[in-house]
Amino acid sequence: MTAPLIELAGITKVLKGQEQPRTILDGVGLTVHAGESVAIVGRSGSGKSTLLSVLGLFDRPDSGSYRLEDQEIARLPERRAARLRSSHFGFVFQRFFLLKHLTSAQNVAMALVNGQGWLPRRQRRNRVMEALDQVGIAHLAKNRPAKMSGGEQQRVAIARALVRDPKVLLADEPTGALDTETGTLVIDALLAATERGCGLILVTHDRDHAARMGRTHDLVNGVLNERVAAR
Amino acid sequence: MRRFSGRFRSSLIIGLQGIRARKTRTLLSMISLFLGVLAVVVVQAGASIAERALLADLELTAGYDGTRVMEVPTQQEAADLVTATVRGRTDAVAMLGVSGIVGEPGVQPINPGGSPIDQDWGPPMSCDESGCVPVGGPKGEAVEVRLTALTGDVRQFRPFRQESGTWLNFTTVPALAPRLVLNLEAAKAFERHHVPAEMRVGGATNNVTPQFTGVVDDGDQQPRAYVRLDELTAWLPTSRLADPNTGGELRLMMVEGSPVEQVVASKLKALGNEPYAFTVESRKEQEKTLTLMRLVFFAMAGLVLLIGVAGILNVGLATVGERVEEFALRRAVGTPRFLLAGIVLVETLLTGLFTAAAAIGAGVAGLKVVSMVVGNSEPLLRNVQFPWEAGVAGIIAGLVAGVLGGFIPALRAAGIPIATVMRA
Repeated sequence: MTAPLIELAGITKVLKGQEQPRTILDGVGLTVHAGESVAIVGRSGSGKSTLLSVLGLFDRPDSGSYRLEDQEIARLPERRAARLRSSHFGFVFQRFFLLKHLTSAQNVAMALVNGQGWLPRRQRRNRVMEALDQVGIAHLAKNRPAKMSGGEQQRVAIARALVRDPKVLLADEPTGALDTETGTLVIDALLAATERGCGLILVTHDRDHAARMGRTHDLVNGVLNERVAAR
Repeated sequence: MRRFSGRFRSSLIIGLQGIRARKTRTLLSMISLFLGVLAVVVVQAGASIAERALLADLELTAGYDGTRVMEVPTQQEAADLVTATVRGRTDAVAMLGVSGIVGEPGVQPINPGGSPIDQDWGPPMSCDESGCVPVGGPKGEAVEVRLTALTGDVRQFRPFRQESGTWLNFTTVPALAPRLVLNLEAAKAFERHHVPAEMRVGGATNNVTPQFTGVVDDGDQQPRAYVRLDELTAWLPTSRLADPNTGGELRLMMVEGSPVEQVVASKLKALGNEPYAFTVESRKEQEKTLTLMRLVFFAMAGLVLLIGVAGILNVGLATVGERVEEFALRRAVGTPRFLLAGIVLVETLLTGLFTAAAAIGAGVAGLKVVSMVVGNSEPLLRNVQFPWEAGVAGIIAGLVAGVLGGFIPALRAAGIPIATVMRA
């Protein structure tokens, strides 16, 4: 078996700056292989978003090991972390975070025009159209977010996450603002990426969506446990 | 290098997108900055125009800085002595002045006393040892000029601008009909009064017919004509050129350290003549005054610019506050912190540049209008070109304002944590 894509071991994160320091992540361990999909479920405030912050290199753990493709990256300097975020990760958020003054194509291109390498305009356009096509909205390339439905906007956000061919997709409640039917379409788009070898970590409250992932983990009081009966 | 170019282009693209998305804000920033940049452009334009006009004419009239000048009190023997000493030398030129009337025989000149032709200096006077008396005779077509006889090419000391024709040639055999080079005022006079050219010079054996060979700008307001000394002395003894009774002038221009100065001074002392020698430093002194004035005006313009910078800063901080999500998101997709700062700086720099372009445009248009309205009465502003230095100053002011106004917002943008997006 090949080395895991992501390997967390003993990750802890303590929230300081309050009267009583609060442990958000308490010895979290998680392994994800290429093409694998993992759901993380838990109550609000259980530390799901903090775990995603650590996974996405937005934040550093206080202790523990974080290996990406067998490289230790728990304490990377910001410049290298930014480079890895660009090359290895794709992010999808609950609120789509599309810039309203840009078209769909420009919003997707945002991930390519980020100072991490330069693509000529034609190549950039091809990559953007390819990503929009993967999520089935290439025909909306020139539309601005205000003229699109929630599902379409989220698919633009997924295209933005996919445009650099990431190794890992991190999705933080991507269906939270969508109706069930649209949410299902969005999960379909995310799972399609795993078929191309991309790892998927989905934070969700929705049990149905969690059930469609390869594995499900419960995060309770900062401790992550795999739900054995999930599959 | 390639990475830098990619980052620069990224920040340029994103900066332009940002400006396009917030046109009204950019316009407000530009308005707050416009007066400041315009003040800098106007001050620099004014200073450059004044410097060009004052310093250029200064060298025409006073000579290059570093030139030694000896003013010799007019005395008939002194003229012979000075011209004999400098004859054939290239490091010193003697200039002897006398009044001459060119025109119809036996008539009063249209500008008695050699006044500028549009000024009236009163009736013509005739002077000798016993004093000056008004000259009679009918008014006619004649022009009085100051005639300056030269022992060599004076342009090494005073950079006359050739306007037309040719300058005096000192290498040829002297002509019997003296060749004259007119200054602009004299040329203007002869353009208005086409006269049979007979030249009357006090003390000359005969009236002669001069040849006009060229026109120069010598910065003098009086009509003046330059002539080779040896061509004039064919008709007039040198001593008459320094006759105090006919308003003669005697001046020596030399290169610094020329032995002529000491020799001439000693010889003149023996005649009881006390020359006054000095080194030309007019440009240096004028530049000092202009620099001081420019500094004062720039300080005032700088204050106005600071108010504009405060405007950009204010708008910039408000904009960064509104774009927290955008900047956090950009960091999430891999944009480095310093590139975010670069994006904000590019936006303020472009705002500064657009403002500079507008201010320079306003400056060019304003100068054109001023030149058209008051150019006729004020020669300094006639056909004046917008100085490139003012354009450069405007661009620098715009860029500096952009950097100053964008620096703090840029730091704020770079410090936005990505977690803001996650928790939103």
